[in-house]
Amino acid sequence: MTTKTISVTQTLAQLGVTRPTQASPLFAALRREFDRDAEAAREEAGWKAFRDAWLGRKSGVLAQITENWLKPAPPELKRAVGQALNELRPHVEAVVEARRAAIEAGAEQAAAARERVDLSLPGVERPIGSRHLIRQTFEEIERIFLALGYTVVEGPEIETPYYNFEALNIPEHHPARDTMDTFYLHLPPGITPRLLRTHTSPVQVHAMEAQKPPVRIIVPGKVYRRDNPDATHSFMFHQVEGLAVDTDITFCEFKGTVEYLVTQFFGPTVKTRLRPSYFPFTEPSAEVDASCHVCGGSGCRTCKFSGWIELFGAGMVDPAVYGFVNYDAKRLSGFAFGLGVDRFAMLKYGINDIQLFFQNDVRFLRQFP
Amino acid sequence: MKLLYNWIQEFVDVAAPAEEVRARLSLAGIAIDALEDSPAGPLLDADLTTNRPDCLGHYGVAREVAALYRLRLKSVEMALKEAAQKGDEVTRVEIECPELCGRYTARVIRGVKVAPSPDWLRQRLEALGQTPINNVVDATNYVLFELGHPLHAFDLNQLAKGRIVVRRARPGEKMKTLDGFERALTPEMCLIADAARAVAVAGVMGGAESEIAFESRNVLLESAWFDPISIRRTSKALGLRTEASTRFERGADPAMAELASRRCAALIQQLAGGEILAGVVDVYPGRPQPRKIEFTRKELLRVMGGDVPDKEIEGILSALGFAPRRVDATPGSRDSLMAAWECRQPSWRADATREIDLVEEVARHYGFDKFPARLPTVKQAAARLPYAEAEDRMRERLIGLGYREIVTIPHVDPERDTLFRAEDITPARLANPLAEDASMLRTSGAVTMAAALEWNLNRGQRNLRLFEIGQTYELNGAQPVETRVLTLGVTGLAREKSIHEEARAQTSADLKGDLDQIGQLAGGLLWEPGGPEWLHPARAARFHLEHPAAPADRAALGCAGQLGRRVAERFKLRQDVFLAELRLDPLYAGDRAARTAMRYAPLSRFPAVERDFSLILADGTRLAQVVEAIHTLGIAEVSSIEAVDLFRGGQIPAGKFSLLVRVTFLSPDATLTEAQLTGFTACIVAALEQNLGAVLRAT
Ligand SMILES: [Zn+2]
Repeated sequence: MTTKTISVTQTLAQLGVTRPTQASPLFAALRREFDRDAEAAREEAGWKAFRDAWLGRKSGVLAQITENWLKPAPPELKRAVGQALNELRPHVEAVVEARRAAIEAGAEQAAAARERVDLSLPGVERPIGSRHLIRQTFEEIERIFLALGYTVVEGPEIETPYYNFEALNIPEHHPARDTMDTFYLHLPPGITPRLLRTHTSPVQVHAMEAQKPPVRIIVPGKVYRRDNPDATHSFMFHQVEGLAVDTDITFCEFKGTVEYLVTQFFGPTVKTRLRPSYFPFTEPSAEVDASCHVCGGSGCRTCKFSGWIELFGAGMVDPAVYGFVNYDAKRLSGFAFGLGVDRFAMLKYGINDIQLFFQNDVRFLRQFP
Repeated sequence: MKLLYNWIQEFVDVAAPAEEVRARLSLAGIAIDALEDSPAGPLLDADLTTNRPDCLGHYGVAREVAALYRLRLKSVEMALKEAAQKGDEVTRVEIECPELCGRYTARVIRGVKVAPSPDWLRQRLEALGQTPINNVVDATNYVLFELGHPLHAFDLNQLAKGRIVVRRARPGEKMKTLDGFERALTPEMCLIADAARAVAVAGVMGGAESEIAFESRNVLLESAWFDPISIRRTSKALGLRTEASTRFERGADPAMAELASRRCAALIQQLAGGEILAGVVDVYPGRPQPRKIEFTRKELLRVMGGDVPDKEIEGILSALGFAPRRVDATPGSRDSLMAAWECRQPSWRADATREIDLVEEVARHYGFDKFPARLPTVKQAAARLPYAEAEDRMRERLIGLGYREIVTIPHVDPERDTLFRAEDITPARLANPLAEDASMLRTSGAVTMAAALEWNLNRGQRNLRLFEIGQTYELNGAQPVETRVLTLGVTGLAREKSIHEEARAQTSADLKGDLDQIGQLAGGLLWEPGGPEWLHPARAARFHLEHPAAPADRAALGCAGQLGRRVAERFKLRQDVFLAELRLDPLYAGDRAARTAMRYAPLSRFPAVERDFSLILADGTRLAQVVEAIHTLGIAEVSSIEAVDLFRGGQIPAGKFSLLVRVTFLSPDATLTEAQLTGFTACIVAALEQNLGAVLRAT
């Protein structure tokens, strides 16, 4: 290998270079030639030849100079040639590297122009599943109450009448039983009757039997009422029961908790209203209404043009309930509520048929990733 | 119940528009669902709670209005123009069952002229949804809606000996009620009889034979009080709900009985003429003892957390009839913390017997909105369900694996449930299902999963991966058992054709891989062939936890495979369906144990080396045997053994198959040398040849 103008395969003596002052012009010429070569290396293959020509380990120009010029040079020349070579080498290396970078950038640009990705084409999408909307709603409500220091507990779906009714101050033949038509299990006679709980409230009783106050629990779960299915009724639906009992819980704390829940779930601008009502296991009892999150209270179809939406029933625990669990009704007070999870989800997401939750049509499930 | 606003206004001088009264009543617990117009005036539709029978009449609602507006409730006391002859000369009343009938009053009106009612009365009754009958019957209904107390008018001439006997029905006794139905009665039911026979089902409906007809001349007017539970039972047993039974079963006002009778007698006289015999025959064995209830500010503050001024407390309780009287040591001290009032339970408020009931009365009339809202102080750390984290991890994994969560109703068709049920399981049946095909609680998650797949396939959704976290139900003896299960259902394509890849159908291997991913959370699964009958016999498997957390968890965790043809046909599933079901409690326990045992293993600084072995094996040889043969060699440097390819046919002779096994070698201490690897390889080849008759293919 050699350069076009100056032979590096010959020794300096053969080139007629005998004095140190001749080294400088020789290297200057070499450098000009290198720069011309660099300029000519414009694509990858050309660059590789260029790199090998100058930096090749055995036959590259620099290697040849070391081998043929430097090594056999007499001592008086060696110093000048060595110094000139040391100056040339970093220049060569830097320019070779710079050309590579420039060529690659250019190649990429060219490629980009040629093969630009069509971003309207889909990527590779790995199929991903989803949580059921009822589960998502449970989790949302749970998170709200976990932030308030509540403990999540659960209880059986198949209950005795005692826990579902009696211990909640609903004796047999109480008119309130009419509002909760109940499924009973078919069991041989003489055995304690069993029913499908009509609300998650029995777990209140289990929880108070199992622990001393203070109590602060929520109970998510399935409940059953013997209603014929239609767009707003399902004989299985979901509730989150809440119970807080302590020596310092009053109606004001009840109100604060309910307002916190409603604003957290439906949004900060939604207002809460408590309307006196009646449940055998709470007193005072209240229906919790929220200002309509759809129309903001001015009236629309969702709120039947009243501006308000009935959310759930709640109230201060009736002292009679404490009697069933040996709590001191004179010292303790508390509140309880039972949220309809399905109803919460229907209101929040504009779902007009409760049956959609349980048909599990994937076209429905997909809408709630 | 429907209420005419102008009727309410007869008892309280309220001038506010009906719309405003509606709103205020609703916010005081008398929910008015609607306000409409009627020919008789604005009509309020009240949805009353069952504890307030006193509001099942205009007068009772007027009392609430009076309390809300602090107006005076007008008295309904009145005197009658009576004839000289006394009522008890022509009739007698006997109560044989005072436990069922606490009061019975009878008045006699003679010489009435039964005719259609005048327009004003017909209009009011029609506005309330009633059909006017004649002036006497309409008068009883009018007073029922006015004062909330049910009355009944008998044709006195049809009562044997003009007598009233209140008694239990005799076994087998029958009676025709005025709706024309023959009713079979039982001794639990309270009857009104005359000297000879039953003439009314007490508090529910009168009899056909003694009803007022246009030719009736003499009227015996009943106004009574019956035991709520008895009326409720009777009404339920007969399937007969009337305006009267609704009021009696919620608790009518015994004190009102006589006044209502007086009011009604006067109205009958006004409408139909005749003379009212003097006095009332009044048998009153169940006269309630007036109850005193104490109400204190201390309790009000303890329950409500906010105060109400004395003036409001006294105004509200007085207006509602509780007659409050300060009884604490310093009654002159206004709004004292020690203030206490002695109150009297009004006869019309059977629901109000305790201090808490008065707290509620004061609070609802004062206004729930006047109490401030504040959050309780937090005293305990929040806690989720003990298995919540384990369930989260599993659910996240399933979603990552492409499964969509479903929620199903556990009520199933017994025939369908049987398809998935092992013989030794006793299902829980419902005694009163809504329909036969929803009369059993599912014993498996598979039965409702199959239904969810069916629903989707019938709607053109063919590629499905679904999971459900739910419960199964069964009886252990008579003891119900609820078991948490995970159910997976998979059908159609695992990957749909796209510009990037080819379509691929799901197989039972997808299900196995997914289950192994779930099982890894609990330390891994062990598989064995076989499964329940509802699975395809060649593609059915059971699995166990590799490291059960408790001895009880050693039983099979669950099963998986392709749904068998017999069951698939019952569900009309025309494409391959794969199902898996497993018990969650052992999995969660395993997850907890695995999390607890989780520790860091140092990473080797030295490179791992892979060697592939292309083997030809006899059909029936299992990967596990290959793995076992290699492991038996005890080469510590073997870090993993994987099957990377498997095929039959082509150049592979019949009865054989080709398996490509990749073994990874790794030493924690040094880079493996070529000589070591050659040694390992030779050992492995020799072992596979010797133990499994494997032939090494040239690669
Ligand atoms: Zn609205």
